Amino acid sequence: MNFGYTEEEEKYRKRLNEFLDEHMTEEIARQNWEDLGVGPEAREFSKKLYENGFLGLPWPKEYGGGGLSPTYDFILIDELGKRWGAHVPLDVGYTMTGHTILRRGSEEMKKEFIPRIIRGEIEFGLGYTEPNAGSDLGAMMMKAEDMGDYFLINGQKTFNTESHYADYHWLAARTELDPSKPKYKGISLFIVDQRAEGIDIRPMITMSDERTNEVYYDDVKVPKSRLVGEKNKGFYYIMEAIDSERNHVFVPARLWPIVDEMITYVKETSFQGKPLAADPDVQAKIAQMAIELEVAQMLADNARWLELNELPMTMEPEITKVMISELEQRMVDDAMQILGLYGQLDEKSKWTPLRGRIEWFYLHSFMPTIGAGTSEIGRNVIAQRGLGLPRG
Amino acid sequence: MDFNFTDEQKMLRDSARGFCEKMSPMGYVLEMEKSEKGYTPELWNAMVELGWMGLIIPEEYGGVGMGFMDLIVLLEEMGRMCVPGPFFSTVILGGYTLLTGGSEEQKNEYLPRIAAGELVFSFAYTEPGMIKFDPSHVTVTAKAEGESFVIDGTKLFVSDANVADFIIVSARTSGEANDKKGISLFLVDAKDPGISITQLSTLAGDKQCEVVFKGVTVPKANLIGALDDGWSVMEKVMLYASVGKCAEMVGGSMRVLDLVLDYCHQRVQFGKPIGVFQAVQHHCANMAINLQGSKFITYKAAWMLDEGMPATRICASAKAWVSEAYKRFVILGHQVFAGTGFMVEHEMPMYSRRARAAELAFGDAPYYRKVVAQDLKLG
Ligand SMILES: Cc1cc2nc3c(=O)[nH]c(=O)nc-3n(C[C@H](O)[C@H](O)[C@H](O)COP(=O)(O)OP(=O)(O)OC[C@H]3O[C@@H](n4cnc5c(N)ncnc54)[C@H](O)[C@@H]3O)c2cc1C
Ligand SMILES: Cc1cc2nc3c(=O)[nH]c(=O)nc-3n(C[C@H](O)[C@H](O)[C@H](O)COP(=O)(O)OP(=O)(O)OC[C@H]3O[C@@H](n4cnc5c(N)ncnc54)[C@H](O)[C@@H]3O)c2cc1C
Repeated sequence: MNFGYTEEEEKYRKRLNEFLDEHMTEEIARQNWEDLGVGPEAREFSKKLYENGFLGLPWPKEYGGGGLSPTYDFILIDELGKRWGAHVPLDVGYTMTGHTILRRGSEEMKKEFIPRIIRGEIEFGLGYTEPNAGSDLGAMMMKAEDMGDYFLINGQKTFNTESHYADYHWLAARTELDPSKPKYKGISLFIVDQRAEGIDIRPMITMSDERTNEVYYDDVKVPKSRLVGEKNKGFYYIMEAIDSERNHVFVPARLWPIVDEMITYVKETSFQGKPLAADPDVQAKIAQMAIELEVAQMLADNARWLELNELPMTMEPEITKVMISELEQRMVDDAMQILGLYGQLDEKSKWTPLRGRIEWFYLHSFMPTIGAGTSEIGRNVIAQRGLGLPRG
Repeated sequence: MDFNFTDEQKMLRDSARGFCEKMSPMGYVLEMEKSEKGYTPELWNAMVELGWMGLIIPEEYGGVGMGFMDLIVLLEEMGRMCVPGPFFSTVILGGYTLLTGGSEEQKNEYLPRIAAGELVFSFAYTEPGMIKFDPSHVTVTAKAEGESFVIDGTKLFVSDANVADFIIVSARTSGEANDKKGISLFLVDAKDPGISITQLSTLAGDKQCEVVFKGVTVPKANLIGALDDGWSVMEKVMLYASVGKCAEMVGGSMRVLDLVLDYCHQRVQFGKPIGVFQAVQHHCANMAINLQGSKFITYKAAWMLDEGMPATRICASAKAWVSEAYKRFVILGHQVFAGTGFMVEHEMPMYSRRARAAELAFGDAPYYRKVVAQDLKLG
């Protein structure tokens, strides 16, 4: 066993942190989160990341990457996370769809998209969920008819979070329209210009004031060259990507800022002449946050290690996902309790502690146990795929 | 990063698994809980044969010279089958105390005999006044008299004192009850007439004792570590002990999950194996989360100890988390086994009783949260 990083990797981390000290602002961090949504600052930051040699290190050399181990991207995401940054600005392309393009896309498609993903130039909106297809993705109805030299797409998506600023839509739609065929075997993946004619994007605002979208397709024509991999294999491509996506998206490091900020707060805030940090209840709560994050980090490290070594993953990334999404809720609850009455103030109040970040996190914390697969579906996966229990 | 055990460790695991399953089935464990001694010489001698007593003892002292991670492999297997006896007290508490604080003479004298399985050790550090866990609470006194120290006072919850040849005792040589400075460690002959040992009747059927010291005289040569600085030795030993306990709990969890999953396939209700019911599946998923988390935090702590890195926070985190995870774990296990698991001769209670004992041993979750808080510079 060895839980350390190589000297080269640590050097990279150090260089990265020097860069982040200089260039990463809270504004950018909040644009990286869905919180504010990617704007010009985060786009600019994305380019700088590339120009300074921090994007694309693990990606294949032939498309402009560095050909190194995926560990470098994990370090990048961890260090951004520790600064409230959550992930790279153009996250869907870089940590999700890009990898499926590499695995399943045509040579032409790889050449078109991968170099721009590596350079931090383009983003994708993830187009899976529909009003009647949430957990049961296979039930999607969005229709893509094969018209010979193009696909004609009609229907509606919902909760497509990046679509209002994304350049492309990563769309899953039904290409097998015969209802007697198994539903999982009739879905395909497409890359659609997000601004294509016939697409209508309508905002949906979340309880934590983030924007996600409904996306309507009305006779949208998509060239055949934008079909990802083979027709009717889309559902399997989505599933084969899911473990690695979890490893890149559910990152314990991004919860450290809560601990760090709370430590600062309890040291600087006194009650009855004593710093809150001396209160045993406060100590226990903050210690528990640190302890659980340490455990979560090990779960994540284990799943990442399996991925790096191309070993089978059955439940490991799912375990990380369930653990840290629920951990976020416990942490935020403890943090809110420590903040007492002040915890209910949002960032607009002059009395707000910690710039309202905890209050925002409370609102946000209802989402990770739902998005990208609910905790219930996660536990089904752990029990069935991981532990071999029978399907009902 | 590497989450693999070495080939040697895998071999050790396989042989330990076979051994523990053969030597320590449930019937034996339950019988030993009721017995006076708590284990049989056959079991002890067979473990000696395998070289386990000397696993972590360097070759120069007659041991095998392996690392803490190797011991973790073994402890996991022992915890898996609830193997009884004073192995933990002797090898970890006795062994690491001598290795950490012992003089060259002490190491030469005792370590080879531990490795040979000739000696049983016990470590007496908890006391009746320790209403909340805090090993710096030491009121047993050791007074210098000429070339000797005279020890007086009562220790409680002392594991395996009933079968020990030697007891290592923490005693106050200066300062107040909760001062870390002023604690010294002494090696005491357990058969000293000034020592009286009474077994306590415990939840897990393990052998914990009250040990009363009345005018027990020990030569100065039996001081382990520096005078008044026993804490620095104890602190280190506590890290090994708490992570070692975690490994036992991980082993117990592994076994319970195996049993539960088998039962899920076999037990039929409503015409279906209960493993198809989602409520049951989610219990199992929660067990898997608790088990994986417990495993990796334990391995990380053991690895950092082996590497000589600062390990206080990680060890404290491990003991705090694993103790609570194991309690959650056995509750879920009981739930799946339902009525049948509530019976005294079922394996389930064997583990749920030990889950409590393991949490309490070497410091519970609230104690280690305090340690973590201190490490975070709170308070
Ligand atoms: C803020 C936000 C952003 C999102 N961004 C995107 C995005 O960018 N792109 C995208 O495609 N999607 C996105 N989603 C959608 C997300 O993936 C879905 O919300 C999620 O998969 C759950 O689907 P649902 O909300 O329809 O819940 P439902 O599937 O209707 O579930 C309702 C409840 O039933 C439970 N349930 C359902 N099936 C089962 C079962 N078999 N066993 C046990 N329990 C079950 C669920 O666990 C849940 O508790 C986003 C969601 C949110 C909230
Ligand atoms: C101390 C004690 C005293 C008792 N006293 C009496 C008594 O006086 N008289 C009497 O008649 N009985 C008595 N019982 C029996 C008790 O009612 C049963 O133990 C209980 O009904 C559960 O049945 P089971 O143990 O066979 O578990 P099982 O039914 O085998 O259940 C095993 C697991 O599967 C789950 N499960 C089963 N079916 C489903 C489902 N459809 N959906 C989801 N999960 C499911 C259960 O919740 C449980 O987790 C007693 C039991 C105990 C432990």
